[in-house]
Amino acid sequence: MKDYSNITPELLETVERYYNGTMAKDEYAQFKAQLQKDAAFKTQVEDVRATLLAIEKQTLKERLDEFHLEIPDQDHHDIHNRDPNKPTVKIHFLIFVKIAIAAAIVIGLGVFWYLSDSPNEKLYSEYFKPDPGLPTTMSSSDNYVFYDGMVNYKQGDYKTAISKWKTLEKNSKENDTLNYFLGVAYLADKNEDQAIFYLDETTKNSSSVFQEDAYFYLGMAYLKSDKTKAARRAFQQSNSKKSREILEQLN
Amino acid sequence: MKHVYNIDSQFLLIDAIKANNSLVLKQLYINNYHKIEALVLKNNGTQDHAKDVYQEAFIIVWNNIKNNTFIPQNETALQGYLYQIAKNKWMDVLRSSRFKKTKLIHHELSIVNHHIELQDDEEQEVFKQKLNQTMEAFKNLGQPCKQLLTEFYFEKLSLRDIAKKLKIEENTARTKKYRCMEKLRELALVSRTEQK
Repeated sequence: MKDYSNITPELLETVERYYNGTMAKDEYAQFKAQLQKDAAFKTQVEDVRATLLAIEKQTLKERLDEFHLEIPDQDHHDIHNRDPNKPTVKIHFLIFVKIAIAAAIVIGLGVFWYLSDSPNEKLYSEYFKPDPGLPTTMSSSDNYVFYDGMVNYKQGDYKTAISKWKTLEKNSKENDTLNYFLGVAYLADKNEDQAIFYLDETTKNSSSVFQEDAYFYLGMAYLKSDKTKAARRAFQQSNSKKSREILEQLN
Repeated sequence: MKHVYNIDSQFLLIDAIKANNSLVLKQLYINNYHKIEALVLKNNGTQDHAKDVYQEAFIIVWNNIKNNTFIPQNETALQGYLYQIAKNKWMDVLRSSRFKKTKLIHHELSIVNHHIELQDDEEQEVFKQKLNQTMEAFKNLGQPCKQLLTEFYFEKLSLRDIAKKLKIEENTARTKKYRCMEKLRELALVSRTEQK
């Protein structure tokens, strides 16, 4: 088994690049060609590749056991106490998701339903639902704070989310994502003036993916503050279905 | 617009998983476990079964993300995929003549990297064997080497950062990494000849 002893540091680094997909186009083509015609080379490459994957996979495996310790206990009440003679019910993922979405919508709408008063207020209650937010993935340290706040935001704890995001503000005044979510969070937290400020900032950035949604929430913020004219103007800029529906009702 | 960036968020998630971002992996792991547990418990399994099946499924999903065999189609695609694989795994267990220790082959194949077009089953078999032996060897590798290789290959730290932590030159770190790889491969080889 001499193929185990003759892998050079250079070959190791070449296979690393191959494995990570960081080879330049030319190098990749050359590498592929050699793999095709040189069986011994291929054995070596496969050997290194198996080693690299083994390191990652084994590490992940060990990490999963650590993660498992952190899973919060759930109430298994319904499972343990169920009647053993009853047939078991299989859970379908889709149903779960549908129920969860439905519940979120009901809660989202319901919270604001109670507050309805004036016609504008009523319209606002009917249509306001905070942006669902971004999934919490994180990489750099700044991002960490942002996504950390996003966790609070999703839990409906807008005040904490805002206080975390405010710390990022001075370094990224122009950041449309930050402005947008600050705006929506303020609006959900019933601070329309601040909401208008941040959403207005977001709408100024014409390349932002949030622009259309920002106009919608800006309209909502004006609606909530009973500034119908400004609200109408904002809704006109947003092309969403909801904005058009509201505009119809405003007229 | 919203729809677009929701799917984008799945791609963000996938990038983070490819980078083995621990926080993201942990969150994904924790958030999706209870659904699988409920499924297994309601279908004649125990919590230990649930954990095993879930971890196997999780590793398969991670692997398929790594080699781009999984591409999300909607905003919850990844979570659904994880559930589906775990469910299939559990069905396999149930089908395997009621927990008899039969080998589960159905979804194992997808574990093997599709990166290189492996020519035949024999090559796949050889690769898988090497992989398993090396994993076992890595488990028992001495701590300094294990840590260095984990930091470089799993955490994706740069050699410079690793060198800084160890207070050595970057080139020394590079040599150390190479020697650790050699040691690991040797260890895997020993376990292989012992098996024969």
